[in-house]
Amino acid sequence: MNASPGDLSPALDPEAVADTTAMATETHILNPRFYTTDFDELDRVDVTPIRAQWDELIAEMKADPNKGHFKKTDAWDRIDWEAMDPALRVEFIDFLVSSCTAEFSGCVLYKEMKRRGSNPDICELFSYMARDEARHAGFINDALREAGVAVNLGFLTKAKKYTYFRPKFIYYATYLSEKIGYARYITIYRHLEANPEHRFHPIFKWFKEWCNDEFRHGEAFALLMKTDPKLTDSTVNRLWIRFFLTAVYSTMWVRDHARPEFHKALGVDIDWYDQEVFRKTSEIARQIFPVELDIDHPRWKPALNRMNAAFLRMDRGNRRGGLAGRLDKVLGGAQALAAFTALYTIPVRTNALPANVRLEPSY
Amino acid sequence: MGLFTKQAEEVPCTVEVSHRFESLHAHVRFDNGAIVHPGDEVLVHGGPVTAAFGEVVVEERTATITRASALERLWTRLTGDLGAMELCEFSFSEQVTL
Repeated sequence: MNASPGDLSPALDPEAVADTTAMATETHILNPRFYTTDFDELDRVDVTPIRAQWDELIAEMKADPNKGHFKKTDAWDRIDWEAMDPALRVEFIDFLVSSCTAEFSGCVLYKEMKRRGSNPDICELFSYMARDEARHAGFINDALREAGVAVNLGFLTKAKKYTYFRPKFIYYATYLSEKIGYARYITIYRHLEANPEHRFHPIFKWFKEWCNDEFRHGEAFALLMKTDPKLTDSTVNRLWIRFFLTAVYSTMWVRDHARPEFHKALGVDIDWYDQEVFRKTSEIARQIFPVELDIDHPRWKPALNRMNAAFLRMDRGNRRGGLAGRLDKVLGGAQALAAFTALYTIPVRTNALPANVRLEPSY
Repeated sequence: MGLFTKQAEEVPCTVEVSHRFESLHAHVRFDNGAIVHPGDEVLVHGGPVTAAFGEVVVEERTATITRASALERLWTRLTGDLGAMELCEFSFSEQVTL
């Protein structure tokens, strides 16, 4: 999970990073968000209509096919972190820290849902998902340790506000984030399989099996949504789904474009990569989402680029401060809103949902 | 619970921090079964719980739950959904430029 990953890291200062030749001098505070939801509603979920598929998925999670996967083997090449280009190092560390926080926050959310629920089906599901996320976080943390980066878990003793989401919003957001996570990992994996000279760190070799966990988690949320047809059928909910798709895709576009060195090292064109991830995610999401964004629409990419420019302007405003900075933030915000509206109003494609939700990872 | 007033309660809790290769996680459990509602704030007392690499630390602590006022709870409920984007997972950093 990638709950507000930005919360976590102090600004990554390239100079400070370049200074860490001694290693183990950089600390990032993990700062996940804490959520609460309507646990009674969650307890009322009845998986009877999809019992067969549910049991099959839970059995797969229980068997834990990735139990032995997250181990460092001989395939884990040594990395000379000191020799890495400083700008690449900054972006790659940021990638690892934000991924680690994402997994970590997922673990916090899922564990909370497991502990607070009383519905045995729900509790069992969330316990397996929490297990997977904690395992992923541990694996990334180890890669960070090798780079001399320590994560600080001191957040536990700081005052925390609990944010509330209705269960359906947790379904939409986490379903999408798990599936997009799968598409992101597998796209990088396949690209590096074809272009191994760009594999600048061994962690990418683990992505194939890894992303199957994300895929399975997404399957679970698809099944949860299938238990209540209103979640995907009603007019209002279709608009919400469209909203989540637009927001998630455009955020990904902006964030990925903030890491040019990372993508250059991977030999990946960011526009191509993002469109490819959107395409895979949209194809997968036909299992449960009745609407699909038209990512080939002539308005799509120009509006995404305007969104990116708007975010850069807001960011510049933040850095500048003062009146000029505030003006940048306000104007940037208005541009972002306009770009979002342009994206949101692109006519969507509609899909008839299949009777059987379940999919297998096939990319 | 008042419309505007907040109330604080102290509850015993168990904090678990795992800093192992196999699992990186951290949780707070309220031992008396206290439930956190929208807008409530939780503060675990004492210094940071630190686990060295390879360690799992479990500690009994006390936490203060500051209950949100009725109005604040309602507000958190109404506005919470807009923040649901936070749940989205794709390894992003909040910074647009690094």
